[in-house]
Order: sequence, then C-alpha cells, then structure tokens
Amino acid sequence: MNQIAQLAANGLMAGALLALSALGFNIIFAVLRISNFSIAAIITVGGYVGFIVNTMLGLPILVSVVVAFLAAGFVGVVSDHIALKPLRRYGPISVAIASLGVNMILENIVRFGFGNDMRSLDVPAQRDWLIAGLRIGPQQFYNFIVATVVMILLFGLLRFTRIGKAMRAVADNPSLADIKGINPTHVAQLAVFLGAGLAGMTGILLSLDTAVDPTMGMRMILSVFAGAVLGGLGSIPGAVAGGLLIGLAEEMSLLFMPVAYRSAIGFLVIVIALLFFPRGIFGDRTS
Amino acid sequence: MPIWSSLNRRMLIKGMAAVPALAVASRHARAAINGPIRLGALVPLTGAGGVWGPKMALVQKMVVDQVNAAGGIGGQHVEYYYEDDQTNPDAGVLATRKLIDVDHVVAIMGVWSSAVAAPTLPICWQNKVTMLAIASSDSLSALPHQGYFIRTNVDVLLQGQEIGKFAISQGAKNIFVLLAQTPFDIPMMKGLTGTVLAKGIKVGSLVYDSRKTSFRSEVDQALRASPDLILLGGYPQDNIVLLKDLYRAGYSGKIVGTGTGVTSQLIDGAGKDVVEGLYVVRPSPAVTSTAYHKLQKIVGMDTPDTSLCQCYDQANLALLSIALAGESSGTAIRDNIRKIGGPEGEPVDNAVDGLRLLAQGKKINYEGASGPCEFLPDGNVARAFFRTLRVSGGKLVNV
Repeated sequence: MNQIAQLAANGLMAGALLALSALGFNIIFAVLRISNFSIAAIITVGGYVGFIVNTMLGLPILVSVVVAFLAAGFVGVVSDHIALKPLRRYGPISVAIASLGVNMILENIVRFGFGNDMRSLDVPAQRDWLIAGLRIGPQQFYNFIVATVVMILLFGLLRFTRIGKAMRAVADNPSLADIKGINPTHVAQLAVFLGAGLAGMTGILLSLDTAVDPTMGMRMILSVFAGAVLGGLGSIPGAVAGGLLIGLAEEMSLLFMPVAYRSAIGFLVIVIALLFFPRGIFGDRTS
Repeated sequence: MPIWSSLNRRMLIKGMAAVPALAVASRHARAAINGPIRLGALVPLTGAGGVWGPKMALVQKMVVDQVNAAGGIGGQHVEYYYEDDQTNPDAGVLATRKLIDVDHVVAIMGVWSSAVAAPTLPICWQNKVTMLAIASSDSLSALPHQGYFIRTNVDVLLQGQEIGKFAISQGAKNIFVLLAQTPFDIPMMKGLTGTVLAKGIKVGSLVYDSRKTSFRSEVDQALRASPDLILLGGYPQDNIVLLKDLYRAGYSGKIVGTGTGVTSQLIDGAGKDVVEGLYVVRPSPAVTSTAYHKLQKIVGMDTPDTSLCQCYDQANLALLSIALAGESSGTAIRDNIRKIGGPEGEPVDNAVDGLRLLAQGKKINYEGASGPCEFLPDGNVARAFFRTLRVSGGKLVNV
C-alpha cells in the first residue's frame, strides 16, 4: 500500500511539470490550431536561461524562473514568426513538421552555445522529507506548488480578463472575433508567448530538480504530447488533467510492468485516446 | 587551451621535417595508393554521447592534419570525413551509408555507442570497410564481421568482472545494479555476477528507460533491496539524476559507476555533496605512455579521457596500416593492423614517426595512448589497464 502511495506521490510531482508543458502546447493549439512540437526545445531553452541567470549571473531562483518564462516566450514568438507563421496557409501538418525542424534548430543553437555537457543550477541538494512513510523531495514539492499556482493564475487570466476572453473568442471563432474588433494576430502572438513561456518555465523547474542538458526537452515531449491528447487538444483543463494522469500512469505502471518500458505508456495513451475518445477527456476547446 | 588551437607550430615544424624522409622512402606506397586516402568517423556529436563526440572528431582530424603536413602517405593526401550518429541507431545507419556510398571511406572510426555499432557493423563488413570502435558491447565482436571490426575499448564483460572484483574488495554483500536499456546490459551483468555470485554476494538489478527525466521510482525500487553497493550502469545524463535521487533518499552505501557513465562533467554538474565518495572503475588509458603525453599536448588537457585516447590511437593505427599495406582499403587495414600493433618492432607513438620508420623498411610496434593496441582475432584488445578512482572534495582521485 505504501508503495502505491509513493508511486502516486511521485506521479503527481512529475505530472505537474508535464501538465505545465501540456498547458503551453494546448494554449497554442487552441488559438492557432497547430501542434507546435518546438516546445520541446523551448523547454530546454528555459533550462539554459535559468542556468545563465541563476548560476552564471548569481540571481535568485525566483528571478530566474520569471526570466526563463519571458525569454522562452520571446524565443517562441520569434521562431513562430520566422518559421511557422509563413507556413500556416499550407495547413496544420506542414506547420507541425516545420515545428520539428524549428525544434532541431533551437536545440542545436543551445548545443553550439553551451556544448553537450550537463549543468546544474545553483541549488543545494536537499534530503527528502519523510511524511507519513512517504518520501517527498523538497524541490519536487516546490515545483509542484509553483506549477499549481501558475496554472491557477492562467485559469484566472483566461476566465476573468479581457485578454483571456479575447483569446477564447479567437479560439472559438477567429472570423467572428475579428469582426468584433479583436486582432487575431496579436492574440495568436500572445498565445504563442504564453505557451512557450510555460514550456520554458517547465524547463527551469525541471532543471532545479535534475540537471540541464540539450536533450532534456526531447525526453519530455512524448509524455507532454500524450497528456495534451489525453486531456483534449486545445483544452486548458484537459491539459492539466492529461499531464497529471500521464505522470500518474507512468509511475503506477511500475506496479505491473518493468521500468524499462515506462515510455511505452505515452504511446499507449495516445493510441487508446485516439481510438476511443479522440476529442480527449475534456473534448477540444472547452476552455 | 582549446583543443582546436593546439596543433602548434612546434608540431607542424616537426611534421615538416619528416617530409623528405617520407617522400623518399615510401615509394612502394605511392605506387600502390591512387588518389586520396579517405578515412571516416561516426561520432556522437549530439544525444547521450554528445559530451564526447566533438572532441573525438577533433583529435582524429589533428592526427590526419599532422600526417598531411608531413606529406601524407605515399604522397597522397588524407581526407577525413565525420558524421553525427546522434547516439541513435537510425541516424547512425544513414550516416554510415553516406560515409561509405558518398564519401567512399575505407574505415569508420570512433563508433561510440553499442546501439549504433550493432546495425552499422554489418554495413561495414558487407562493403569491406573496417570499423574501429569504442562501443564495448560483447555482442559486437561475436558478429560474423570477417575481421572488419577492431575495438580499442575493453569489452563490457571484462569491465563487469573488474567491477565485481572491486565490490569484493569493498566487502559488499548485497549489490544492486541500475542499468540503462542498452546492448551492454547483459555482458555487464554476466561479468559482474560471474565474479561475485561465487563469493555469496547477492545481486539485484533493474533496467530503466534512460529517456525519462525522473528516476525516483527506480531509486525506490533499488533501495527496497537494501543494497550496500549500487552500480550505476547508465550514461552521464541519467546517472546525474540517479545520483541526486539517491542522495535525496538518504542512501548511505557505496556507489560505483563505469568510465562511460561517470565523467568529470557529471562530477562538476551534480554538486559536491551528491558525488562525494562515488567510485569509478574504468578502463584506464596508458597514462605513462609517450603517446598519452603527446595527446595531452595536442588536446591541451591534463587528463584526456579514454574516448579521446582511443580515437587518437584509431586514427594512427588506420593510417599506419594503410602505409604498411601500400593500399588504401578496409581490407588493407584489417590485414595489417595487427602487424603494426606489436608486440614486436620499434616502438612508435604517432603516425608521422611510424610512417618514417615504415618507409625505412623497419618493423614498428605502435604503443598507444589507450593501451598496447594489440588485437585478438575477434577484434578485441588482448591487454588492457583498469583504474579505480574515488570522488573526494569534488575531484577524482586514485584509489
């Protein structure tokens, strides 16, 4: 029983970061109706920005997280403007393929700048807390809290502000939103900025817990995409639920299958979701 | 000093001084080698092996540049082509096909990952191209490679046995092995268990997926076995996460890693507290050899790792084999590499000196930076050195 509770705790902690990235993926999808896989590299960018700000410049973690969000959002907007926007008229498949190319370019720019070596942020290693027989990593717990707060803030932004309403309007019907005076281009840029920013924030939070290396985003992307599909592409609450469920499923799978096959869970979920509920748990665009 | 700036004037002057001797005395090679000599390398510039690949390629290019500065082989220029295998078998196969079909290389050197070597080795032997590999999975030398496989690294079975001896020396009673899913899992376990089980030591293991970003549950599973020694059998990217998770979990037993999995970058990146006391059992370069000292100067590093040493040796060995054969082909390398690897002949530690001696009709014995470079019929090294190190105060020190 204790093992199941421990796996569930581990799954929730890991799932919170997956949810954050899946949220970024789905915000972009909801507004632009494109799958932007370059968020894998943007996760990496966030990790390296955190490394620069925290380790190289010696600034506090909180500042690093904010800068990572802003820098990743900026990189997302610029790369979208240069490489993806011109291809949108050729359809979502073209954009998705191009985003894989953008992903490779961004990852290798990072590699050219920093090499392939692993780097750590300037945070002391802390022993786990032991709570009711469960081991909880302090950094993972902080990450969970930060991810949760950010997700709540994002809900508030989308639900209660004019910007959020504009985004939801464009997501629902871009032509009608345009007629009502909402500039869909600006809303699209904002969606990309927020989506990429959340991916970058995932990168720095993950780096705080593990390490920074150029492949860190690519190692996450399958689980992130699985979370987005499971929750419903374009769905904001769906991304959160999907990310958390994937995190839980990957950990709980260890009860009945070897750990070597943990990555198969992501593929399995995508196949099952597309076969039996292709609109995801929450359906698409329910935000 | 940056690796790429270290081909200094002194070396070039030495190389130039050797030009007349090489030009005069290698007439037989000139007669037989038509056109440039094309050497290839399949190195991991990206992916899990990306920590090593770029430097590996640079070292080999420096060796080739030295030989070209000394007049080439038989008056022929040596061309060096390298491709990124991305530490990925699919990319490795495509890159191998490019090196063989487009660049027409006669040797593919620097193959680092066993997962990449496994599908690319058959392409090499079918095209009579010699593979000079670092990849250490035992299964590679067991393939029907017809001699077109030479490994400068120590095979994993031997490494497993050496780690087993280390565990016995440390008085371990219960070992747990955390292995990344790679072709070297089975020989590592075979070597380890073959050594320790007879001593009554208990061994548990799990194979994990190294593409994940967190290994807390894997660590939990390992700790449930209450081991007094944990062997990390993965790559640095996952080992750094595993080490942090073991530290957080309060594990107080011994931890040992392989030479591939524990690098100076990992030690710098993981944090002092996390890696303090970590042991590494690894094949050791021939640190007292003159080739090793030459390599230190070339790369501008105090302790070039075994991958760099092996790449240096591979380039020298391939070039000397071609010169001895007077023919630029994979078959020539295959048939002559054991003749220049000793143990008989005048000792040499670099291709330029070796070419001069060969040109004088002398027999040579190449003594490398990675080891004696004597090869068995199956392509494995006949002799190897091991070293055990321990992290103390953030630095690796000899045990």
